[in-house]
Amino acid sequence: MMRLYLAELLKLRTLRGTWGFFVVALGLAALFTAGGIGGASDEARLEPGYQFRLVLDMAFPTGVLSLLLGIILFTNEFRHGTIARTLLAAPRRWRLVVTKLVTGATTGVALEIVALTATLSIAVIWLQALDVPLEHGDLADGAGRAFVGVILAGVLGAALGGAVHSQVGALVGALVWMFVVEPVCWALLGLLDWEGVADYLPAASLGGVIDSQGEGLPFAASVGMTFAWIAFLTVLALVRTARRDIT
Amino acid sequence: MIEVDSLTKRYGSTVAVQDLSFAVSAGRVTGFLGPNGAGKSTTMRAILGLVRPTSGTTTVLGSPYRELHQPEQRVGALLETFDAHPGRSGRSHLRVLALAGGIPRSRVDEVLALVELTGAGRRRVKGYSLGMRQRLGLAAALLGDPEVLVLDEPANGLDPQGIRWLRDFLRSLAAEGRTILVSSHVLAEVAQTVDDVVIIHRGKLIQQAAMADVEAMAAKATTARSPEAARLASLLAAEGVEATVVVDDRITVHAPTERVGEVAAAHGIVLHELTAERASLEEVFLELTGEPGERGG
Repeated sequence: MMRLYLAELLKLRTLRGTWGFFVVALGLAALFTAGGIGGASDEARLEPGYQFRLVLDMAFPTGVLSLLLGIILFTNEFRHGTIARTLLAAPRRWRLVVTKLVTGATTGVALEIVALTATLSIAVIWLQALDVPLEHGDLADGAGRAFVGVILAGVLGAALGGAVHSQVGALVGALVWMFVVEPVCWALLGLLDWEGVADYLPAASLGGVIDSQGEGLPFAASVGMTFAWIAFLTVLALVRTARRDIT
Repeated sequence: MIEVDSLTKRYGSTVAVQDLSFAVSAGRVTGFLGPNGAGKSTTMRAILGLVRPTSGTTTVLGSPYRELHQPEQRVGALLETFDAHPGRSGRSHLRVLALAGGIPRSRVDEVLALVELTGAGRRRVKGYSLGMRQRLGLAAALLGDPEVLVLDEPANGLDPQGIRWLRDFLRSLAAEGRTILVSSHVLAEVAQTVDDVVIIHRGKLIQQAAMADVEAMAAKATTARSPEAARLASLLAAEGVEATVVVDDRITVHAPTERVGEVAAAHGIVLHELTAERASLEEVFLELTGEPGERGG
């Protein structure tokens, strides 16, 4: 398993597209952080929880990137036909699925490290220049939750990729689900006074992990619900990958 | 070393392979032959655990492929479809495979040199020609220095020098006692390489035989030229061998050259020519598969 995991990491390292994700993560983190500081009033910057939200809000774009990279790291195998060669080295297919999930978590960690480095660097320098005292506890809390959210997004993406196999289908499906289907569900459930149910949907669950506004499910429940969705997709990934003929 | 037992594979209502059984021995190169669509690739993928049989079993080195420990070090495979990411360099592709298979990294450069891709190893695969891709696939198959090789149409895209190199290389590997199964839809292409052949058509076994036996099938008749052709024909007829006088000094005999020569020598008949007429291997192949003129795979 360890060899397979290291090989998965090497696969990612040896593709230019992977590095593109990290550059975009860096850029978006810098942009979100700069916007969060530059766009806030002096009073807002001194509000309790401001620095917590500043760090955690950056987790949204990083989480989306982590989700997409998780999808790609699995579906690339089918898109480029490399799955046959991969399975020759790992003929017990459940091992491949588990390895992909762990790799998704790893890419989440790496993306969050890059994004957090940019965010904290900008935040520390800028806030100190503005004489805003640093709230180390808030920054650490925000960073911790951001790590959890982005890691879960990576695992969720890998599980989704393993369940769908089609790269275009999984990428488009994930984005449409996040930005179209779930908002529509929210609206429809709202009409029925069932808003609470919408909190348990996949994107809402994951969103709850990195939600800085205190809406939706509590943090622990959001993590648990996201794990449940990951487990569901993982079962699908295991079944589909095990049964698929590689022709 | 490779055993296929009553293998059947259906895709929906399409039967790709039907009740196919054969064995591939160690130390021999076995040609796996059949027209395009005969079921060769499906069978090879079933052997490699990539396709789940509808019924029947396949084993490599005594076990199903999926149960082999460190399979990349025991079985090398080249599949017909290209299986490297186009955005990765050839060398990186092999490094990934080596890492996953527990193969020393030094082996990557060795196999790149072996298939003469050292110079192109750092180039991205999408820039490779068909022949280079095929060589990279062979390098991947050889990476683990395996006991068993399963090669699906390995000569595709290789130039004549490459085909000759491949032929010599496979012979040398078989001489080391390795088991080699190599598919092709052209019998003549592998005739000089293989010891045995397994011929399938429409998913069914047509023939499993030594290559020498297939070549014997190609022997059609013997032509003899002699100043005493008519007498020779009579003597052969007396021995129960059918002989036809074509022209005054030439006869066609449905018997091996050795038999005709022995009869002529026994009766002091001078021979000016003794020639075996042969069908081409492709003619034999097409006759066995029962569809004259059908090509490819």
